[in-house]
Amino acid sequence: MKVEVSRRRFLQGSIALTIAGGYAMSPSEILASAKAKASESGQAGRKKIATLCEMCVNKCAAFAYVEDGVVTKLDPNPYFPKSRNMLCPRGNAGVQALYDPDRLKYPLIRDGEKGSGKFKRVSWDEAYKYIGDKLAQILDEEHDNRSTVAFCAGEGVAEHTFKNFFTGFGSSHFLNHASLCLATTVSGYALTIGGYGSADLVNADYVIMAGANRAEAIVTPDTMDFFKRTIGRGAKLITVDPRFTNTAAKSDKWIPLKVGTDLAFVLALTYVAINEEIYNKQFVATSFNNFEAYKNHILSSGYTPEWAQKITGIPAQDIYEVARTFMSHAPRAIYYQGRRTTWSKNDFQLRRAQALFSALGGGVDVKGGICFGKNLPLIGHDVPSPIYDNAKSRIDKNEAAVVGGSGSWVGFRNMILEGRNPYPIRALFNYKHNPMSNMPNSRKTAEFLKKLDLVVTIDTMPSDTVMLSDVILPECTYLERTDPVKSFGGIEPAIAQRNKVVEPLFETKAVIDIMRGLTKNISKQLFAVTKKYDTEVQDAIEKDGEESVYGDFDLTKAFYESQEELNHHAVANYPDAVQALEEKGVYYPDMDKYFKKLNVNNYEYYPESKKAYSVKNGKLATPSGKVECKIDSLVSKGIDAMPLWKDEYLKEIPDGKFNFITGRHAQFTQSGSSNNKLLLSLVPTNYAWINKRVATKRGIKFGDLIEVSSKVGKTTIRAYPTEKIGQDTLFFVHGFGNASSDLTLAHDNGGNDANILEDIIEPMHGATCLHETIVEIRKV
Amino acid sequence: MARFAMALDYKNCINCRACESACKQENGILLDKDHYRIWVGVKEIEGEFPNLSIASQAYYPSQCQHCDNAPCQQVCPTNATYYDQNGVVRINPEQCILCTYCINACPYDARYVDNRTITVDKCNFCADTRLANGETTTACQATCPTKVRIFGDLDDPNSEISQVLSKREYKQIKAGLGTKPKLFYLI
Amino acid sequence: MNEFSIKSLITFRKTPLNLLVAVIGATLLASFVAGAVYFFLHGHHAFNVTRQHPWGLLISMYVFFVVSSTGLCIISSIGHVFGIQEFQQIGKRAIAGAIITLLSGFAVISLEIGHPIRMIIYNVLTPGLTSAIWWMGTLYGVYMVFIMIEFFFLAVKVSHKWSKIFGIGGLLAGLAAHSNLGAVFGFLISRPSANGVFYPVYFILSAMITGCYLIYIFYGFRYRNEYPAHVIPMLKKLNKILGMLLGVLIFFEAWKIITALYGSMPERAETILHVIQSPTFIFGEVFLGMLIPFLIILLSNAEAIKPMVYASLTGMVGIFFMRYDLVHDTLIYPMDTLKRSDYQLPPGFIDYFPSLAEFAIGFGGIGIAIFLFYIAEKVFNLDDNGHY
Ligand SMILES: Nc1nc2c(c(=O)[nH]1)N[C@H]1C(S)=C(S)[C@@H](COP(=O)(O)OP(=O)(O)OC[C@H]3O[C@@H](n4cnc5c(=O)[nH]c(N)nc54)[C@H](O)[C@@H]3O)O[C@H]1N2
Ligand SMILES: Nc1nc2c(c(=O)[nH]1)N[C@H]1C(S)=C(S)[C@@H](COP(=O)(O)OP(=O)(O)OC[C@H]3O[C@@H](n4cnc5c(=O)[nH]c(N)nc54)[C@H](O)[C@@H]3O)O[C@H]1N2
Ligand code: SF4
Ligand code: SF4
Ligand code: SF4
Ligand code: SF4
Ligand code: SF4
Ligand SMILES: [Mo]
Repeated sequence: MKVEVSRRRFLQGSIALTIAGGYAMSPSEILASAKAKASESGQAGRKKIATLCEMCVNKCAAFAYVEDGVVTKLDPNPYFPKSRNMLCPRGNAGVQALYDPDRLKYPLIRDGEKGSGKFKRVSWDEAYKYIGDKLAQILDEEHDNRSTVAFCAGEGVAEHTFKNFFTGFGSSHFLNHASLCLATTVSGYALTIGGYGSADLVNADYVIMAGANRAEAIVTPDTMDFFKRTIGRGAKLITVDPRFTNTAAKSDKWIPLKVGTDLAFVLALTYVAINEEIYNKQFVATSFNNFEAYKNHILSSGYTPEWAQKITGIPAQDIYEVARTFMSHAPRAIYYQGRRTTWSKNDFQLRRAQALFSALGGGVDVKGGICFGKNLPLIGHDVPSPIYDNAKSRIDKNEAAVVGGSGSWVGFRNMILEGRNPYPIRALFNYKHNPMSNMPNSRKTAEFLKKLDLVVTIDTMPSDTVMLSDVILPECTYLERTDPVKSFGGIEPAIAQRNKVVEPLFETKAVIDIMRGLTKNISKQLFAVTKKYDTEVQDAIEKDGEESVYGDFDLTKAFYESQEELNHHAVANYPDAVQALEEKGVYYPDMDKYFKKLNVNNYEYYPESKKAYSVKNGKLATPSGKVECKIDSLVSKGIDAMPLWKDEYLKEIPDGKFNFITGRHAQFTQSGSSNNKLLLSLVPTNYAWINKRVATKRGIKFGDLIEVSSKVGKTTIRAYPTEKIGQDTLFFVHGFGNASSDLTLAHDNGGNDANILEDIIEPMHGATCLHETIVEIRKV
Repeated sequence: MARFAMALDYKNCINCRACESACKQENGILLDKDHYRIWVGVKEIEGEFPNLSIASQAYYPSQCQHCDNAPCQQVCPTNATYYDQNGVVRINPEQCILCTYCINACPYDARYVDNRTITVDKCNFCADTRLANGETTTACQATCPTKVRIFGDLDDPNSEISQVLSKREYKQIKAGLGTKPKLFYLI
Repeated sequence: MNEFSIKSLITFRKTPLNLLVAVIGATLLASFVAGAVYFFLHGHHAFNVTRQHPWGLLISMYVFFVVSSTGLCIISSIGHVFGIQEFQQIGKRAIAGAIITLLSGFAVISLEIGHPIRMIIYNVLTPGLTSAIWWMGTLYGVYMVFIMIEFFFLAVKVSHKWSKIFGIGGLLAGLAAHSNLGAVFGFLISRPSANGVFYPVYFILSAMITGCYLIYIFYGFRYRNEYPAHVIPMLKKLNKILGMLLGVLIFFEAWKIITALYGSMPERAETILHVIQSPTFIFGEVFLGMLIPFLIILLSNAEAIKPMVYASLTGMVGIFFMRYDLVHDTLIYPMDTLKRSDYQLPPGFIDYFPSLAEFAIGFGGIGIAIFLFYIAEKVFNLDDNGHY
């Protein structure tokens, strides 16, 4: 007798029996509506559909299994070289995000004080009309200064779609995760070696991972390559982190250093390499610009390991050893770029110093080093980008030396709170982003959101930011939509596409459909305001007639076609791509020929000879075509031309207090997955890492509740006493302790770091500094 | 007809728990306490900061060992626990009386009570969800970022697992008990 | 058989002792019913058993009852099977007791086993012949049939011959069933502290001790400590037997502990070291269960009767702890000493404390036993009627 336990049963069993903020919805109702949608659209039976994961920023390829319209399982999709046939714990938990009973289901408009959490359900048209009227009123009052409306977005495949709306709208204010995440390392490497590149971990023989926790902060393909193909094949891995992370556990050496002192460490490594002349002389001779100046600076500043030992707490001997072994393995040696580099005020210089040290070994644009790889271009899609004469430039442009297209989020917010904005900022469109949790000092973010006349948030979950919005537009989850096809450059480039797996549940829509509906409703109305205040437009209308001029300002144009049509167009240059993308989710030229299954676990994407290790022919994408040691153009903006250590970087940690640091673990994505039932069954909450001896002295045991407080706020969290962290440091995983009571599982679960982090920014891009906060603790 | 087993390149394990997540989703495991077919054993680090012993922090991905000489099977009063034709130790929920004797008898803590079927459950190498559908890998193997697991047929000398086991050294857990476990930890 | 009616069923002499026993019996019986109802509403959530500690108080109580049953059967067989004169008188009362405690045990275990009906079906359809539980369960079934027939020939249709035949059958089945119950633990290769020959033998030994204690309690209650002449020699002989059994048990336990600690074999030594430091062992098992009765026997030169009735009460409490510890100590060592997540303490000895429902059902079983005894006393004449 064989009893096959059907998967269906699980769905009924495992979806939380909860009620989302006022809109009662039981699990069986969710599934019933999923099945009804399926029969409507003829989706009965079992299907396997290629998609891309969006549980985090990595976009791994997946196959979704659908049974009678219900997604039962996500499997890794082997075709994608970036994700190499894997799905991480969060990727596997995507089904729970789709069927989360708490998810947003209908458009909502605030119906009470801001922050009261009271909303009323409206139709999409009512929501659009509300937004249109509000915007028209604001723009009228602001004389068509489009920049009074700001736009912000989190990273995602469809961020681009939202950005098309921003472009058409004509504001100067776009803000995204860059200044909260990776701005400094991307520009640090780009300005120094011509690109952030990708680390060829498959072929590197020596890797320094400083403040990058690839075992837990998963970045593909690095995470897979690191552990299987570095130590697995005998490469050396050095981890530099004030905590003993899972990455450290997989390393040959772990170097704990004082928080925020990496720059001294890298400068000392550089000192050893230059002083002992063990760097790659040939590469330096051909590919360095201004090396002599850098050499003199390093040597004359006395950045010896003995000097660095005092600052970093790393024994000088270790610094000598690391520098020497690094150079002996060069050019197959990498100082890993890192990703979230919002640490401290010297972030930009630190990344420059890393890039320079890495380049001293010659590991740039070569196998086993930092590679730039190849790109598979897509055909662009024309979107109108009208010019509004009255739109003013960014308010935050002087908050830092170089404020790029993604702004200085914290700088921007603080200017408004401090009344330093030269003109009013009245509204915010927010796509797939949760600044309440992800920007330091959440009290200020709340104040900022409350100050605005209109906050429109497009999200899938009732996040803390959603709760402080005026209009909530529910997007469907990534499993319910086709998103823009995307090209992934690199050593093994590929194009990948997210295909819709099931029809959107409830009244949710894909962002492109939201944008289509919204622009249809408000485009003319907003143009009327422009016509009223914009003299250029008035002149043009006089000359060419209104219809013709409106054509340039027609916001709906960007969203005429369906996503599927846009995607077909984007890959029109590649024969068979459309079909491959639909069936396999992935395409690259000669995939049929190249793609091979080597064994149960391993696949080959490109033959060795076709991998794009070296593409630059000795000419890097910097102004001089060489590694830039000295960037004089920045000096006038107050940025040092060469990385140097300043005593002000040293911070005192008063006795009994702690330097707070933040970060990831493998089971959650920032704040975005905090309500995921499957993930919570793996790790129910976050814990504060506190040194065991310190905890014992303070009478704190495992699981005890402690209050962590700083100058700006406090939070409560359970303690995890451990020797994996030093006596003056406190850490907990980011993303927990959400305030939104509509997140049944995440509400008030664990500690919220956004509450206690001070909002300090660094001078280069105005990126935030998340590791500068000093905290105290108290047992509660 | 096969003799399925699993080799684990356990030193590659980064303790991400994707395997656990995949298993829950694949096999519809309830998200309740104690409900897991697969886990990663974590050995707490030894030493005092900053002098920690890296080697002392080890991760042991684990699940039912599909013992060739399974104590859980021997003690089952109704033969609800049985070896299927592929040597996979399985449970027939219709026959299980929930005496939980097998849970006590398993030296590996591989079994638990499933609140849904109200019988005992454990890893079955995805026999009903994947192998029955013609798949050749388990959910935990397929999803692993560092490809820790090698699932395959010991009776087939050409299978990857047979090859790996003939070439590499391995250890088995509590092998001294005579259970003949079929998880092989590659050294 | 006695003449009885509904009226006679609900009337008894309202002595303080009788009233006390009645109140205790009724309370326990009610708690059993309440526990059972709670269990039917909440399933296994009603119990504090876990993945790491899947057996708890109910298994202990089951063992407690069936040990009592076997013990009574063995002691009674001294008389009517082996023909020792003084012991013949206890036959009926002991066999009735054996049946009653067995039924109480079955009542308790039927709420612990997830699917008792399924058990009966598949026990027959797909017998697990390598399973000690299968043998134990099946043999207890046979045993029950034998002793019920035996009782029939003792108390209803008196036949010395048939009662002896079924008595022998019952004794053999009981011994086999009971040592198999020991083997349920002894066969656990996963649990070094339980694995081996100790438990099957220990179970028979402790069953005999339990039987003796119960005989003292039954007679003490029946005669209100005022014994007729024909009872005294029997109870004195029992003193000697019990003293010897306790001596052997103490000896046994001591060697078990010494061999477990010797050489510090991992798991086994740690477990036993932990066990012998626990109050349930020191006070429960050793003090109440063994030392008090043993010392009384020793100091009275095996002449004490009244004190032994009271000592038997502490003895039974001790026996309860022996059963509780037997289950708990077997499961106390974690099968995997690694953490399941970063955010927890490394697993240590596994905690278990019974839930209210488990207490209600487990001790409620005693209520069932008292109730059935009461009925039996009313319906049958359990005293010796001189037929031997
Ligand atoms: N599972 C999971 N994976 C993710 C994400 C996720 O949320 N969850 N998010 C994705 C995103 S958006 C990003 S940006 C990346 C982030 O990837 P990472 O940047 O690798 O991860 P973090 O955990 O933010 O921080 C890295 C480490 O820096 C250490 N650190 C703190 N202060 C210092 C210091 O002064 N010096 C040094 N050397 N180290 C220090 C912390 O202890 C932490 O271990 O992860 C991506 N991948
Ligand atoms: N304290 C602290 N702050 C940090 C960090 C830290 O480590 N500590 N890390 C920083 C880093 S590196 C980054 S990248 C940022 C990340 O900051 P965010 O980009 O804000 O990332 P998430 O927290 O994942 O929030 C994403 C939001 O998108 C929603 N969402 C998810 N899927 C969809 C979808 O398909 N459609 C729509 N419309 N919405 C969706 C989620 O519900 C959630 O509200 O945070 C930064 N802030
Ligand atoms: S790393 Fe994990 S969560 Fe991120 S895209 Fe890949 S599978 Fe999804
Ligand atoms: S998925 Fe692989 S790496 Fe992750 S915990 Fe499981 S075995 Fe370890
Ligand atoms: S590991 Fe445990 S459950 Fe699995 S076969 Fe062996 S004894 Fe049975
Ligand atoms: S619980 Fe079920 S599978 Fe386990 S021994 Fe009892 S009947 Fe067999
Ligand atoms: S083989 Fe299948 S059932 Fe077993 S642990 Fe892996 S995923 Fe779970
Ligand atoms: Mo990020």
